[in-house]
Amino acid sequence: MKVVIDDDRCGGHGVCVGLCPDVFELTDDGYAEASTDEIPGEYEDAVREAIGACPEHAIKEL
Amino acid sequence: MSELEQLDFFTDQTLVADPYPYMEAMRSGCPVRREPHKNVMMVTGYDEALAVFGDSENFSSCSAVTGPFPGFPVPLEGRSDDEVSELIDKHRSELPFSDQVTVMDPPTHTAHRALLMGLITPKRLKLNEEFMWNHADRYLEPYLAAGGGDYIRGFAAPFTLAVIADLLGVPEEDRAEFATRMDHRQGGVGATGSGSMTHSPLEYLYEKFSGYIDERRREPRADALTEMAAATFPDGSTPEVMDVVRIAANLYTAGQETTVRLLSGALLMLAERPDLQQLLRQEPDRVSNFVEEMLRLESPVKGDFRLARKSITIGGVDIPAGTTVMVMNGAANRDPRQFEDPDTFDVARSNARRHIAFGRGVHTCPGAPLARAEARVSIERLLARTSEITISEEHHGPADARRFSYVPTFILRGLTELNLDVVPAESSE
Repeated sequence: MKVVIDDDRCGGHGVCVGLCPDVFELTDDGYAEASTDEIPGEYEDAVREAIGACPEHAIKEL
Repeated sequence: MSELEQLDFFTDQTLVADPYPYMEAMRSGCPVRREPHKNVMMVTGYDEALAVFGDSENFSSCSAVTGPFPGFPVPLEGRSDDEVSELIDKHRSELPFSDQVTVMDPPTHTAHRALLMGLITPKRLKLNEEFMWNHADRYLEPYLAAGGGDYIRGFAAPFTLAVIADLLGVPEEDRAEFATRMDHRQGGVGATGSGSMTHSPLEYLYEKFSGYIDERRREPRADALTEMAAATFPDGSTPEVMDVVRIAANLYTAGQETTVRLLSGALLMLAERPDLQQLLRQEPDRVSNFVEEMLRLESPVKGDFRLARKSITIGGVDIPAGTTVMVMNGAANRDPRQFEDPDTFDVARSNARRHIAFGRGVHTCPGAPLARAEARVSIERLLARTSEITISEEHHGPADARRFSYVPTFILRGLTELNLDVVPAESSE
């Protein structure tokens, strides 16, 4: 599983960071950033939760 | 039912001082449960709250800020799903605040929210944050020189007003007038008392921003108000002036009061805990998580309402169409199934950020990044510029018998005043 964040949509809410801090982080500019690597199995559930919880629907599974 | 759960959450003044035992009693009975006074289904569990917030199709936000007061204009109970849904669409405009983004449902909501998100993009906030440091110092100056005082009137309120004015690009010459006109100290939406709601600050904002937007549509300048005036809906159409004005006003009405309560709750915690002050002075990187933990523990919004369009089951409980539901962020944030030892403050709590103080779903507070930055910046500056912050015993009584007063509303949670004694740091930098 891999994910990407649409910078045009990201509102910097940080919900994904709260749900899965091991995969998502907020950059210094306040936008969310996802690890570009294959997501380790143990985080998949949390990442799916983050995809569903993003207020701007900015996270996409690749 | 214990005595606690029989109290009327919407009017009982003892619950204003401390709502948490009530929330806990409701949740341990059942996380989705009808209260007996206004017939509101109270959602106090974390997962259950997410289920409601995440379902804008079945739960309308039309009565989000008013709930059972005055209630829906026509009776909805006992009607079929289709009838309820139809009646909501037909009568929602008769409800108070019906023109505000907070009470809209998709797809109208989606378009109006996009306007708002255009005002507070992370990029914009980053620029705004640079001003925040200056504003924090500017308003701390007199507060520190006086050795403290009411932190709300002396710092938090003027600071948050200045930040929003900056973000919206309110012209410098109008700022003093804004500060005076927006100084409504408490009350407003969700008052548990009997006083009527005052509309004057909102009307003032409408008037001022209509003027700004009109003017900039005629004569664009290089400022934030011009960007706001030029903003379009996602489909490319140009909003009415009032659509834009309402969005700008929303930043004040939804963003200022709540942030003030967050800041004062955080300062109360700090003032009672010299060890915490020391820790955060030495390791300012921890302030962010401290803010998250305060949002969790003392959520400035206790909850808001949804109206069930269809009969639906949440957490195993049937909710008939037409039911008013109150989703209690403040209770969900103390759900022991999500947060271990939930009533205990833990500055290093690893999942503090999972709180839903800003709500979830399509109505997630658009100002969350703004509020977080305001809290972090102002707390960091105050700690850096003081060596000691304590509660004023003259105002709030001795350590073993403190007296605090909280805003008398069922929506907001927060102090009405917080008198502090502060000792400025020796090298005040």
